Amino acid sequence: MIKFLWDRLMYNNNMKKTFYSHFIEIDAIIIELERMELSEDEKKHLIGIIHSNLHQAILDTILSELSKEDKKIFLVNLSLDNHIKIWEHLKNKIENVEKKVENTAEKLKMEFHKDINWVRKK
Amino acid sequence: MITKNKSHYEHLKTKWINKHKKLQKKLWNKHKDVLSFLSDSSKQLALGSVGGLMLLTSPVAANISSQQIVNTQSLAQNVDKSVFLISDLSHVLPDKVRPLTFSEEDVLVQTLTRHFGIRITPELQDKRLNRSYGYIGAEQHLARFPGDNMYAHFDNSYDSQKYWPSGMAPGLGGWGYFAKSQLEFSEKDKMREKYYIAVQTFLSEGFNNRVKEYMDFYKYRKMLLVNPNNGKAIVTDIADSGPAEWTGKHLGGSPEVMNYLERFDGAQKGPVLYFFIDDPDDKIPLGPINVQ
Repeated sequence: MIKFLWDRLMYNNNMKKTFYSHFIEIDAIIIELERMELSEDEKKHLIGIIHSNLHQAILDTILSELSKEDKKIFLVNLSLDNHIKIWEHLKNKIENVEKKVENTAEKLKMEFHKDINWVRKK
Repeated sequence: MITKNKSHYEHLKTKWINKHKKLQKKLWNKHKDVLSFLSDSSKQLALGSVGGLMLLTSPVAANISSQQIVNTQSLAQNVDKSVFLISDLSHVLPDKVRPLTFSEEDVLVQTLTRHFGIRITPELQDKRLNRSYGYIGAEQHLARFPGDNMYAHFDNSYDSQKYWPSGMAPGLGGWGYFAKSQLEFSEKDKMREKYYIAVQTFLSEGFNNRVKEYMDFYKYRKMLLVNPNNGKAIVTDIADSGPAEWTGKHLGGSPEVMNYLERFDGAQKGPVLYFFIDDPDDKIPLGPINVQ
């Protein structure tokens, strides 16, 4: 248990923060992967793939709610990695944007859990 | 047990990569309208968040701007491998361009070794550079043999047109000419100059006490350079020392290296990762290298 918590802390310390990191996390999935006795490399790789998937889905959710001009503004803010500006803009343009992002993430996370459970039963 | 766990990993990896491809295709299809804008703006934007823009790498943008009809599926496939590299790197790299911690280097070395299938290390034969993540500046062409000049420097008019403006350095590289004469000038020498970098050899720990040993070690030493913003990577060799610390840059790339990595000097300068390649049998060719 202590080793697991330390590993997770070390992993999180090495991860770059995205603009939604403050409320979207995958700790529960990491716990599931820890239980599978994968190598550190394999775990890190799978976690990276999960993050990439989440990012794609969240970008799609956000872009789908924006006009063409607002998409450009959002992408420029994203490229500058200005989280404050990103959220100022999104909250102004999309109703309940955080809830929508959260719903997208939760849906995808459930799919990952399902996949892990299926593999573990094999 | 090992076989079973290995297959768990492989199964999840395959399934989640396929999921990623579908999400990516969906994203491309729905939001093509902003891609032209970003491809036109990519060089002007300060790309501070690679993870955030992981889809819209320069190679992809270049594909879009150069093609009239976009094949979304082939674009998605072409983007896939470098997207994962960019994403993997972005999760580890710090927000600021600074020397990496040992822990960060360790993860990055594992990541790059996995993606490129070559042995990479920040320390070789007990020697390491002062850093492995820093700003790259532009270098000039180097005289490859006595009498080499800009007119003799290129193989074709395209290269001449593209790389002539960089000019030739007034002095020689850190180890002098690459060949003693034009007669002895080989393909290997040509590649060494074409894909050379200059690194701050003089800032290596222990350098001042064992100068010859360090200079012998660094001479044409192969290094993997990676632009974390677009996932482009190139096998280079060390052929010069520099730049000076006061420049604010940490290494320099030949015109061909800078062009391939899509890195620029001056106000638009950007960082690269750079690690030694452990290649004792000299099997890994100099030049661009793709994610496996």
